[in-house]
Amino acid sequence: MPNMELQLGLALPTPNMIKGFDLNNHRLDHLKQRGCFSNKSKRSFEQAFGNFKQDGKTKTLLLWSGQPNEEEDHKDQKKTTFSTIDDNDDEEVEQVVGWPPIKTWRKKIFNQPNGVGGIENNRVADKENGRSIYVKVKMEGVAITRKVDIRLYLSYQTLSNSLITMFSKDKKCGDDDSTRYILTYQDKEGDWLIAGDIPWQSFMRCVQRLKIIRNRD
Amino acid sequence: MRKKIMYSFPDEVLEHVFSFIQSDKDRNAVSVVCKSWCEIERWCRRKVFIGNCYAVSPRMVIKRFPEVRSIELKGKPHFADFNLVPDGWGGYVLPWIVEMAGAYPWLEEIRLKRMVVTDESLELIAKSFKNFKVLVLFSCEGFSTDGLAAIAAGCKNLRELDLRESEVDDLSGHWLRHFPETCTSLLSLNISCLGSDEVSVSALERLVGRCPNLKSLRLNRGVTVDKIANILHRAPQLVDFGTGSYSAELRPDVLLNLAGAFSCCKELKSLSGFWDVVPAYLPALYSVCSRLTSLNLSYATIQNPEIIKLVSNCPNLQRLLVLDYIEDSGLEALASSCKDLQELRVFPSDPFGAEPHVSLTEQGLVAVSLGCPKLQSVLYFCRRMTNAALVTIAQNSPNFTRFRLCIIEPKTADYLTLEPLDVGFGAIVEHCKDLRRLSLSGLLTDRVFEYIGTYAKKLEMLSVAFAGDSDLGLHHVLSGCESLRKLEIRDCPFGDKALLANAAKLETMRSLWMSSCTVSFGACKLIGLKMPRLNVEVIDETEPPDSRPESCPVEKLYIYRSVSGPRFDMPPFVWTMDEERKVMH
Repeated sequence: MPNMELQLGLALPTPNMIKGFDLNNHRLDHLKQRGCFSNKSKRSFEQAFGNFKQDGKTKTLLLWSGQPNEEEDHKDQKKTTFSTIDDNDDEEVEQVVGWPPIKTWRKKIFNQPNGVGGIENNRVADKENGRSIYVKVKMEGVAITRKVDIRLYLSYQTLSNSLITMFSKDKKCGDDDSTRYILTYQDKEGDWLIAGDIPWQSFMRCVQRLKIIRNRD
Repeated sequence: MRKKIMYSFPDEVLEHVFSFIQSDKDRNAVSVVCKSWCEIERWCRRKVFIGNCYAVSPRMVIKRFPEVRSIELKGKPHFADFNLVPDGWGGYVLPWIVEMAGAYPWLEEIRLKRMVVTDESLELIAKSFKNFKVLVLFSCEGFSTDGLAAIAAGCKNLRELDLRESEVDDLSGHWLRHFPETCTSLLSLNISCLGSDEVSVSALERLVGRCPNLKSLRLNRGVTVDKIANILHRAPQLVDFGTGSYSAELRPDVLLNLAGAFSCCKELKSLSGFWDVVPAYLPALYSVCSRLTSLNLSYATIQNPEIIKLVSNCPNLQRLLVLDYIEDSGLEALASSCKDLQELRVFPSDPFGAEPHVSLTEQGLVAVSLGCPKLQSVLYFCRRMTNAALVTIAQNSPNFTRFRLCIIEPKTADYLTLEPLDVGFGAIVEHCKDLRRLSLSGLLTDRVFEYIGTYAKKLEMLSVAFAGDSDLGLHHVLSGCESLRKLEIRDCPFGDKALLANAAKLETMRSLWMSSCTVSFGACKLIGLKMPRLNVEVIDETEPPDSRPESCPVEKLYIYRSVSGPRFDMPPFVWTMDEERKVMH
């Protein structure tokens, strides 16, 4: 399925968009014309986007093709182990106790502020060291539900890329090349929202489940 | 004829003169002039600083200084910040509180760093000191919001409650309600370390509203940006403010209120907090930017251009803490906008990632050193460095007093020449004659220590990791650095020879920490034997050190001078090399 374009739409803004993961300009221009969302969001389209024109540019949807951005590797994904000594380390970064010398609470900025306790229905956390938080991901039209460790990702972009890779194997031939998908999530209150509205850290804290749905615009 | 000794002044006059002498160093100098001066001075010393709580016992302090009003104590070694000191190591404050409760009923101030504080200690403080005013718990642990409730309720004249970076068992946000309605004396409240659970915002608002002298307020992550305006309106006199989570659903009215509230704070000079920043709320700050001297964005995952926009609007900035999202381009902007900058700290946003995802290199630091002539204090995490850059930085900034560079990957060489970074750090110590604190990183041989021993005459604290080739390196430092007080070393090939040859030096220092080095158990015992005024402690979590041959290296060792002998509160994994007590704990 070489020509299939799997595109995941996110709501904006994405304050944690990291430069290194930026799409190339060609795609960004294409993005600017986009603006479609499902009606499942908690706020209206105007509310979601009316206020984000400070700089004169409207920041819109992120779309990307089925291949994750060429510049990124999966190597870039954040390692979340902190205090293990690896003797035979075949990972990219050697994890050494207390190195780099960053205070423990600083590391928590990028993680949950409080350890997530217990095992919840859709969200499994390792309570002892608060390391992994697995969230179920369902894609519309795909039978298999997968799981991702939210903690491995730094931003919506990295999460989306990973999901694209994960699900591009599952894509049915029936869908046409330009099918667009939207990444949605279920928050703590049980509501389904479009991913991308809130800062990444807040998202990590409240996401219970993920669902990739077809954009029926 | 009896010889009459004439004093130039009666005791009361001397005491009055001494009351103008505040610094510890000066007070110590005064007290060795003669016996009578020592006697007078000790009765009027009001403030005591104890850099290592195990260097002296509470009773000894009380005996010498009976009228103390303010005490500062430090507990665990610095490397405890990075999980190198196992839990339960020590640093308990309770024995001190117990002794002081009896001896210092008029104690007003307690400042603690890296100590274990229990609710029991806090309750005892609240009960024992009628005029208690200041409690600062810096990087402490072991207590809960129940203990804080006791302080709030019991200390009628509390001025300062500062919990910076402490680990608090956050049982309930209601502890704030324990501040009585009559409490109007607060000057400073820092609860930024508390968990994300809601602290009682209404109680907070009321407390803030009735303390007209409140100058410093730092909120915790549980307070969202929409709550800030109400708080600020009640405290427009604030000089230092820490936001909570700078995040909320974006609403124009909230933004407007926030901007309005900030613009009312005409004295505001320092900002921090900014967890979970929603960039759309940043413009609310613009009215205060021109007055800001201190800005801590190190929890804020904002990126350029937002960061550049902020710092470019702060021409009076003296202190900036930020994540490496600022990148070289942001540091260049900083260098051209903030000519008064004295302190810069750049933290890594992705410390464990293999590849850099931000463009922050040695160039950024070079730019700041060039553009900011007053730069004195640097903490910089990056992924690459060159000797040339370090030499340039050293030449641009001869005024450095603190220089801490952390190249994230251990033993990273100069990326252009592939040489060690000895010459670069050598330039730093050579040019920065007032350097008091230095942290090394990157690929380093014994040569860098030769430079340090030769030039770093004012150096008081040195941190070393993954560096050096042999004992010669350690020897250079111990024999050359005249002002050295604290030395902490990890993962270096330093062993017995340098330590034994310079054992006497250790008595002139506060402490030495060495972990994952090659110091043998036998050498530790020898030092413990020969140097009774040193406490030599070996930390071994796997098995008793004497269950192995004496030549085996110890896991961790901590040596510090003490006038009160070995401590009695050691956990099972800490062994003292005390001569009398043999190897025991």
